[in-house]
Amino acid sequence: MFDIPQERAVPFGCATPAPVGEQPMMITGNWREYRPVIDHEKCNLCMNCVVFCPDACWQLDEAEEEVVWNAKYCKGCLVCVTECSHDALGKAYELDFPDGVVRLEKPF
Amino acid sequence: MAHVHEITIWTRGVVKDKEGRDVANGLARAADREGKFTQAFDNYVDLPDRVNVPLRKYARISDADIEMKYDYENEKPEVVVVVDATIVKGIDVLRGVERGGLLVVNTDRAPKEILKFIPNGSALKAIACVDASRIAGSSTVDFSGTEGGVDAVGLGSGIAAPLLGAVARTTGLVKLESLAAVVKNKRALQQGYESVVIEALS
Repeated sequence: MFDIPQERAVPFGCATPAPVGEQPMMITGNWREYRPVIDHEKCNLCMNCVVFCPDACWQLDEAEEEVVWNAKYCKGCLVCVTECSHDALGKAYELDFPDGVVRLEKPF
Repeated sequence: MAHVHEITIWTRGVVKDKEGRDVANGLARAADREGKFTQAFDNYVDLPDRVNVPLRKYARISDADIEMKYDYENEKPEVVVVVDATIVKGIDVLRGVERGGLLVVNTDRAPKEILKFIPNGSALKAIACVDASRIAGSSTVDFSGTEGGVDAVGLGSGIAAPLLGAVARTTGLVKLESLAAVVKNKRALQQGYESVVIEALS
């Protein structure tokens, strides 16, 4: 009846694939005033930061056996600092770091 | 059409929203007292704001009637005010600025440190840094005065006052006396005017 090319066909039930990994449409790194900094010596991998982060910016790197932080999406809510069970996380002012620059064209 | 001085203010949603609005409104009202034609408004693109998102406020000052009534963005700002210094890492604050622009930043850092985060700083005539947060103590978190509402808190009771003083000194667009007539915290306004660090650039 209709000849729809494969790449334009909408899946059954109109379900579209969710972004795998990161969502490039909603980068929130430029909301941040303070960033969490981790002391890996003190960290016992309790995973509180991984669980509590609203944007999944803390992920466990299983090979390195440490949690890694995502500067591109962390909006600096610092809930990880509050929830850290071993005082391994602290906050630091963003202008102290040359990295973590997320210069967007639109505010959000 | 006479030249229109365009001023863009970058601030953070909700937590420093009133401060950014006060800078725009304060400049417009002070210039209005000097008999200039003025406009001051929020950016519709950035709204609705959320906590900490970078957003813009605009002010325009001119000697003649401003004809650009339906342009809701400043295409070529000549003065850019940054109410929270960390915004320079997240947004190109100098977009549209032509040669001879001025940048006023609320920070305790030196102008050189801020310039490190500004890739297109060569267009600037000068950069000014003022520690408005320390001078004013705290920022006002209030939605008073948004969208035409009555401003019950009053203009310039937080960090907007020292920033306005710094803008007056850096740009010379408005006189300090006319700002003092509209701003609530006159001590902070005066301190901002005196303590601003201006670094001239070629």
